[in-house]
Amino acid sequence: MLKVENVVKAFGSLTVLDGVSLAVHPGEVVTILGSSGSGKSTLIRCINGIETLDGGHITVDDFDVSKPRELAEARKRSGTVFQLFNLYPHMTALSNITLAPIEVLKRPRAEVEAEGRALLASVGLADKIDVYPAQLSGGQRQRVGICRALAMKPRYLLLDEVTSALDPEMTSEVLDILAKLAREGTTMVFVTHEIEFARRISHRIVFLEKGKLITDLATAEFFSAEGGLALPRVAQFLSKMQKA
Amino acid sequence: MRYADFTPYDLVLLAQGLGVTLWVFLVTTAIGLVIGLAWGIIRFYRVPLATPAIDFVSEFLKNSPVLVQLFLVYFGVPGLMHVDMTPVFAATITLSANTAAFIYVIVVSAIESVGRDQIEAARAFGLSRWQVLRHIIAPQAIAFSAGPLTALLVNQLQVTSLISVIGVMDLAKIGANLNLRTLKPFVVWTVVGALYYVAAKLVALAGARIEARLRAHAVFRGL
Repeated sequence: MLKVENVVKAFGSLTVLDGVSLAVHPGEVVTILGSSGSGKSTLIRCINGIETLDGGHITVDDFDVSKPRELAEARKRSGTVFQLFNLYPHMTALSNITLAPIEVLKRPRAEVEAEGRALLASVGLADKIDVYPAQLSGGQRQRVGICRALAMKPRYLLLDEVTSALDPEMTSEVLDILAKLAREGTTMVFVTHEIEFARRISHRIVFLEKGKLITDLATAEFFSAEGGLALPRVAQFLSKMQKA
Repeated sequence: MRYADFTPYDLVLLAQGLGVTLWVFLVTTAIGLVIGLAWGIIRFYRVPLATPAIDFVSEFLKNSPVLVQLFLVYFGVPGLMHVDMTPVFAATITLSANTAAFIYVIVVSAIESVGRDQIEAARAFGLSRWQVLRHIIAPQAIAFSAGPLTALLVNQLQVTSLISVIGVMDLAKIGANLNLRTLKPFVVWTVVGALYYVAAKLVALAGARIEARLRAHAVFRGL
């Protein structure tokens, strides 16, 4: 289980996360919604240990990300896909994918490369194995980014606005892959602005507002009049997003 | 043949001088590279106390004349510490340290040139600081630094001529001796200058070739 308990994170005088608690069970798809600056991305960055916590605890399968010794184990269990892809520009698509399994999991290169090729083929990039990120389109880069996370066989897939930098056509390329992963039972923490898509694939939706988690509801309930829509901020957010 | 005439043996002397210059250049470059790189890595690991100490030493080496540093090491250090100092040894220490200080600057900026987002991604996937340095930062930083490093080394090759002042028999010193004997400064310094030029050009060409190879995968080649 991925457990976020009372997490506080501040940048100087700005409190970005203010006592956030959340639990994600294996097999669940949990979507995090909220306006820009509500702390969604920061929450992901706290879970994968890029940011240090100012309060509270995060554990990934009981490994505490605040403890340096346990962080390494926690990181082996989660895989992150980033908004701006964050690929390694000096490495081919395949090397981007195989680096961490070889270096961190110490798995044999030949085995990892075979899996990497299969992963790229599964997202329609079989012909891009030896291509560098600069030669790929945005959608292709993000598909490599997803493969890179999947190559670690993570128990939890963390998706940080993975389609925000893509045009609608490329967005659908990437969402199709995520939908497939969701059907296969991949556990996902999904930060997004793609509300309709989130509604289709998520089991639960949580809503962040100014660093506070204000609802945590089953998807159907979140979109129901007596559930999420009864909360003025959620109703306002959803109506704004649907207009856009 | 008069004493002041050029002789074929002068060519041997010039070749020997060039040999000394190149030897001092290569040795001090190698030492400077190791030290400058080590300093850069210490800074990358944010070792407490060590980083400000390195910054202080490197600032001193960058902002004072090499000639002054040379005098300090050759004349100052033996008197203070009661040790013997040969001209070649003093020259090696001084130029190595000076080169290290400038290589340190290049290493630091090359490390910082690598995008934070990639480093964060690698860390999030569990790579250690050392693995990030080795697999993510180093390959890109080396490609980034090839140009500035070549420019620095071309300059450091010229700077070696200062060691002639403390009596090292390098190309400049041979030139000075030849000039005193023949009293034909225009000929002597033209030949000496041409030899430095050829040596520097070879360094620049080698650097350009290495840089081209390192950047082979970069798609963007300028406007």
